[in-house]
Amino acid sequence: MRAEPHTPEPAGPRPEVVLRGATVTVPAEAGPGRRTLLGPLDLVLSEPRITVIGANGSGKSTLLRLLNGLVLPTAGSVHVDGLDTARHGSDVRRRVAFAFTDPIAQLIMPTGREDVELSLRRVHRSRVERRRAAEVVLDRFGLAALSDRSVHELSGGERQLMALAVVLATDPRLLVLDEPTTLLDLRNTIALRRTLASLPQSVVTATHDLDLALDADRTLVIDGGSVVFDGTPRDAVEHYRRAVGER
Amino acid sequence: MRDPGLFTAHVVGDSWLHRTPFGAKLIGVIAIGLLPWFVSTPLPLAAVLAGLLLVAASARVPLSRLVRSLRSLAPVLVVLGAFQWWAVGPAYAARIVLAIMTAFVAAGLLTATTPVTTMLDAVVRGARPVSRWVDPEVVALTLAVVLRSVPWVAGAFAVVRESARARGLERHPRALVVPTVIQVVAYGRSTGEALAARGLTDPADHA
Repeated sequence: MRAEPHTPEPAGPRPEVVLRGATVTVPAEAGPGRRTLLGPLDLVLSEPRITVIGANGSGKSTLLRLLNGLVLPTAGSVHVDGLDTARHGSDVRRRVAFAFTDPIAQLIMPTGREDVELSLRRVHRSRVERRRAAEVVLDRFGLAALSDRSVHELSGGERQLMALAVVLATDPRLLVLDEPTTLLDLRNTIALRRTLASLPQSVVTATHDLDLALDADRTLVIDGGSVVFDGTPRDAVEHYRRAVGER
Repeated sequence: MRDPGLFTAHVVGDSWLHRTPFGAKLIGVIAIGLLPWFVSTPLPLAAVLAGLLLVAASARVPLSRLVRSLRSLAPVLVVLGAFQWWAVGPAYAARIVLAIMTAFVAAGLLTATTPVTTMLDAVVRGARPVSRWVDPEVVALTLAVVLRSVPWVAGAFAVVRESARARGLERHPRALVVPTVIQVVAYGRSTGEALAARGLTDPADHA
């Protein structure tokens, strides 16, 4: 069952990500030539909630990294709201926030407050404004009481929430999450699903958690670097279960 | 990184030391760092160290943090002190060890009583005259990453040492150095990726 039935509407139109023949290749480990990690993919992603499922090494993380230009296509293109990730990387990353599996990899500063302020340096030059804006963000996520604690002293769930606050501080239009529940227990997983459901931003989530995969309007199943199913979450999960069972 | 030490996170507070401007604290740290060049006996350094401990207590910096930080430095001090004792003599060894301890504690008190963001703002201001050649924000960010990395690397080494001990390999330098280097490289890559993902650096910089 979805954590929340309705996704809040954002202030502007939903962002649109367009992949045209997007392919990612790397040099082959043995011998000449290149190995294809992903693609070629032709997709238009515009739904408020999209989930991506698939086995380890199937290409989920590579697909996610294409969306904010952390990985650039070796062939084809990826556009976010008309901006080419290869040419307008900074503008794309201003629109598309990315949260990693391990929040500790995400958090640069010693405390959550300082990390939120670091995100806001791009937006507010004044220290006083930055501090005020950080307070608002931390309050919104219910993290004010934890904001001055070392990020290493926070629990896994608190850390994940803090990492979300950090990347959402600059009000991106799209949030990309790479396996956000892998390190969380059930209670924190449920709390995270509620938080994600309450966000006005569009969200693309790669996950092994099939319950979380159902919290979507559309689900992609990736296998061997290709999209092997694209449809409703329920059908996609069913397809994935069958495919795994048949192996 | 496991335990918070002096350099891990600033200690929230409103003591006189917290309220002292960053510039004044920095001058104090530099002065203490230069002190060993102007004294010829260990006594003045011991007095400064005692004074710093009083400062820490008055600023309500937890003693446990101070002890934890000094404990991680202890092996270096022991080896260095023993070598200097053997090579030069006990007074010189004591001076060297005390010089390192005073500089370490002074720098630790600076980071423990100053939010990193305040330090970044100061660095940005300081780097403004050279902004034609280098982006002050990048200089500040580099400092933040260095501050974050020092305790992390120490923590990674402690974990690797524990693993090596569990396998009876604590006397094999390769079992300590190779996994630590691999972890540090992986950490560097993940930090670079995290910075790029937040739009703080260009991904091409860390590819």
